[in-house]
Amino acid sequence: MKLPQALDRRLLIVVGAGGVGKTTLAAALGMVLARAGADTLVMTFDPSRRLKDALGVGRVPVDTPGALHASLLDAQTTFDGLVRRYAPDGAAATRIFENRFYRHLAGSLAGVLEYMAVERLFEVARDSQFQRIILDTPPTRQALDFLQAPERITEFLASDTLRLARRSWFDPQGNLRLARLGPVGRKIAKWLDTLVGLDLLREVAEFFQAFGPLYDGFRERAAAVQKLLRARETGFILVTGPGAERIPDMLFFARRLREAGHDLRLIIVNQVHPVVAGQPSLEPGEESDGLRLLAWLGEHHRRGLDELSKVLGPKDPWVSLPLLPETPAGLPALEALGTTLFDRISQRF
Amino acid sequence: MNARLARKKLVVVTGKGGVGKSTLSVTIGRLLAGKPWSRRALVLETDPRESLHQLLGVAPSGGAIVPAGTRLRIQNVQARAVHEEIVRERVRIAALARRIVASPLFQHFTAAAPGLNELAVLVHAYRLLQGRKADVVVLDAPATGHGLSLLAAPQLVADVISGGPVGELARELANFVADPERCGIVVVTQAEEMVVQEAIELIASLKTRLGTRPELVVVNALYPPLPQSASPHAPADALRLWTARRRANEQELVRLRAAWDGPRVDLPLVPLERGPALVGALAEMFGNPGR
Repeated sequence: MKLPQALDRRLLIVVGAGGVGKTTLAAALGMVLARAGADTLVMTFDPSRRLKDALGVGRVPVDTPGALHASLLDAQTTFDGLVRRYAPDGAAATRIFENRFYRHLAGSLAGVLEYMAVERLFEVARDSQFQRIILDTPPTRQALDFLQAPERITEFLASDTLRLARRSWFDPQGNLRLARLGPVGRKIAKWLDTLVGLDLLREVAEFFQAFGPLYDGFRERAAAVQKLLRARETGFILVTGPGAERIPDMLFFARRLREAGHDLRLIIVNQVHPVVAGQPSLEPGEESDGLRLLAWLGEHHRRGLDELSKVLGPKDPWVSLPLLPETPAGLPALEALGTTLFDRISQRF
Repeated sequence: MNARLARKKLVVVTGKGGVGKSTLSVTIGRLLAGKPWSRRALVLETDPRESLHQLLGVAPSGGAIVPAGTRLRIQNVQARAVHEEIVRERVRIAALARRIVASPLFQHFTAAAPGLNELAVLVHAYRLLQGRKADVVVLDAPATGHGLSLLAAPQLVADVISGGPVGELARELANFVADPERCGIVVVTQAEEMVVQEAIELIASLKTRLGTRPELVVVNALYPPLPQSASPHAPADALRLWTARRRANEQELVRLRAAWDGPRVDLPLVPLERGPALVGALAEMFGNPGR
């Protein structure tokens, strides 16, 4: 099978809002690429059980001409791995793992999950074992968080907050050094204590100091990840749902992707209700509720696609895929979906 | 709409992205504002890209409280604006407050410190209620994972910041969120495999992490039941799609029922564009679930 030009990139990143079938499409794409002979890795966050079983996440690679590998992403494990890698020794890593602030932070810091996804991508991108890599991104509504994550982490690491926090604020006895600066310092220390409590500050200071030795490695890494997202080998696939009401969101995201210097290769309008043959009446009472609903949905989605073809320029390659009666779960169904996608692309371009 | 939900001060609407959280938030707000409850309702939205106003056919909020019907108002709230408001109150000198808020230190800290942004949204809702600006606030919460962080934020902040005004406020809010008399959680889902899975996991984490449970689970966008006998001129393709989709819906409802035996409202897919008419139709069905 000839690979459509739109998908001719080693790293394909599938982005889009939640609930539009990103994960299934990423798996289907992986399946056809492997079938076409490329050793392919699909990385995903949150597959359904059936999909997980079909892809064999964590099991033996699927038997296709090219090997199909699948891996499940876990933010906390990735973050812990990074800390271990950049910590100068085991004791430094342990100090971070035991810090209360880190334990809360790793799960709740804005963008951590998103950053860990790209971080893993960077890791596997250097592995020549894979000829194709497909990354299914976390379901953030605009998915912009995902792309901005490396910038935000780098910015945070380079910020005054960190520079300040990495100074040693507490003496070995655990007293705030400010308090030694005389009455004014003592007053500030007291004010801080009543506002947030010195225990918290001590813990935060400890965290940043423990993090200090990791700082440079971490920042270089974030910068390299940013570069990879804009590299020639990387392409983006934007998945959206049908219906004219989704168009503004989709256009907004496509524009932001391009403005940020990313290569948007393809837009997929997924789960389109087919137009019902014979045009059943849309008036109440004349048809059963179900047929009337399907006819309305088919019509509504067709209008959406019409509108889309008017607003999208020649530089925006896009295809639509029909809503399938059953959600594809097994490998044959995934391959069928992937093949349909390839066919639609080659029909259009 | 059950009477227990109608008594709450805060209703938090959460669920996976794309299931109709915003539509349901507005629908619930409209029901609470209408008869027989007649409460002054405010629907809060946290997504920076506004969409609540489209559902009610009014102007976008832009951060302000906007009237959207009898006893019904909407507002788009951003954590940053709440942080700024709090600083302005604490630091009475306007110029100084501006400098603090504009400093990179302040911005990075509030953006990165765990729980602070989520806490800010709840603080805002809480203050509206304390100041009697509304009888009930309906919060259109971020998607599941973030929705859970939102509800867990007060306890998280209270654990980390033990003392001082911030710690006290966090503790007060943790109590408020955990109080089933005052705060109700609505989980919105659809009868599709991954969405139901996420709802089941959310219900489980609400129990293990927060020791609470939803007040209501709403299953949205169901395909209608199949007729006893198919219409003779029904196109085969459409019939097949409908049959398969409805069967998947029914299977997922069985799975959901095994994990959740509490109050549930089922709503059908409605052949209406996203807008006031859709909200009206859903409100009617939501209000009379026996229909």
